[in-house]
Amino acid sequence: MTMLFLHLVVDGIVTGCAIGLVAATFAYFYSTSGTFHVAHAGVYTFCGYVAWYCTTWGIPFVPSLLIAMGVGALLGVIIQGLLYARLAQIKASPLVMLIGSIGVLTVLQNLAAIFFTPNIIQFEFPWRIANVELGPIFLSVPQLLILILCPLLYVALLLFSSYTALGRQIRAVASNPELAQITHLRPRRMFIYAIAISSAMVAVPGVLVGIDQAMQPYTSLIILLTAVVAVIAGGIGSLTGAFFMSIALSTIQSVSVLLVSGRWSLAVVFVIFIVFILVRPEGLVKRKFSREL
Amino acid sequence: MPLIAKNLIAGYGGKPVLEKVSFTLEDGEILAFFGHNGAGKSTTLKAVLGLIDTIEGEVILNGENIEKMSVDQRLERGMKLLPEGRGVFPDLSVRENIEVVDAVNRKNGRQMISAPDVYELLPVLAERRSSIAGELSGGQQQMLALGIALLGSPKCLLLEEPSVGLQPDLVENLFSKISEVCKHLRVPAILIEHKIVSALKIADKVMIINSGRLVFNGSKQEAEKIDLWNYF
Repeated sequence: MTMLFLHLVVDGIVTGCAIGLVAATFAYFYSTSGTFHVAHAGVYTFCGYVAWYCTTWGIPFVPSLLIAMGVGALLGVIIQGLLYARLAQIKASPLVMLIGSIGVLTVLQNLAAIFFTPNIIQFEFPWRIANVELGPIFLSVPQLLILILCPLLYVALLLFSSYTALGRQIRAVASNPELAQITHLRPRRMFIYAIAISSAMVAVPGVLVGIDQAMQPYTSLIILLTAVVAVIAGGIGSLTGAFFMSIALSTIQSVSVLLVSGRWSLAVVFVIFIVFILVRPEGLVKRKFSREL
Repeated sequence: MPLIAKNLIAGYGGKPVLEKVSFTLEDGEILAFFGHNGAGKSTTLKAVLGLIDTIEGEVILNGENIEKMSVDQRLERGMKLLPEGRGVFPDLSVRENIEVVDAVNRKNGRQMISAPDVYELLPVLAERRSSIAGELSGGQQQMLALGIALLGSPKCLLLEEPSVGLQPDLVENLFSKISEVCKHLRVPAILIEHKIVSALKIADKVMIINSGRLVFNGSKQEAEKIDLWNYF
């Protein structure tokens, strides 16, 4: 029982790290632009398929991952340039932006199904099912990669945000878009940088989770749902809150199968979310000056 | 003359709010601009900065007609706005606030006032360099907002209610700093204010607007001879 519990906790942490990066990058773009970018889940899926397609041409894992990240960044820039920027120009309401984003998500999922395949696919890497023994814990190689790369990228995003000129400029735009406009920080350009960075980063869990659990075009919505719950419960605009709340929620979801049927595990997440919002509506990490939902 | 507005007619959705507003400002002069809420003060500033389209009239900055220019082009020419109550990046530290704007100006080659100059002009910012801007007192936030507005090569300051929410002693302190900076840098400023007595102390010229029409436009000395309240 103890071993089972331990394995469930570790499984939850691994999944939480992947979802955490989805949530942190989602929060990063949201806090910068104010756009509820649900198409982020479409980028996540599409990048997984791009990497898979690269491997079918014999391209090794690392270049495939980098190509997927590049495609992710490009997709993000296209979505911002062709949709969000134009909607913002005509002063579209946040609801219209959200509906537009849902449209892009649907298009990306369907494009993945049309260009690649609507069926479940698996990467053909021989190391996909290899296990690594860490004391009493067994992790697959893709799980270990998730456990290392996703937190690393989250930390890299924080460091970029705090210690680089571009990162600080993006934070300034997030902090006060009107002032950013009149001080020549060019918010629209910063939105493009922010979406490119978050879309490139979301490709990493997209590919690694795809390797670990196989892929289907329409499965990313569940991941996005948990990520959005984590973003809100973690404290809107807080990357740290979003990342660690994702880990907490995924771990609870994973362990909950000891008490309830696996079919209800997502419901457990939402019950916790509702309780959390009622008890601490500002989220896990309270930010004093962030955007409101 | 550094800033001239000639017969400005501007408004929203093609409907005029301002009726032929005209004024001139010399180097280092401060124009105190008074009026009720909704009288047209902010609309005048927006028209000068290009945030709304003018229907008629001209805005001339340092001899150049900027009337047809975009907001960005006017900003590039040194127009600086201190917006009411939101002139800082609240999530960033004081140092980061100054640095991000300083870096953009440096990149664009517009650098009469850089970060060290701002710290010298407004020493309180140097003392609070590591503090988060949103956690500063109201007065310190306004000092920071002024510092941000000064960065680059300011040719004209547009100050929108800089004293909002400040205690009287802080207002005096902020206004004397504004006056000192304008005289020292020889930059003209339009100061929209509700605190009339404090604003008059540093003003060189006074303008009062009522329902989009200028009802008084004269020197500080002329303003002191009349009862300003009759014009509201």
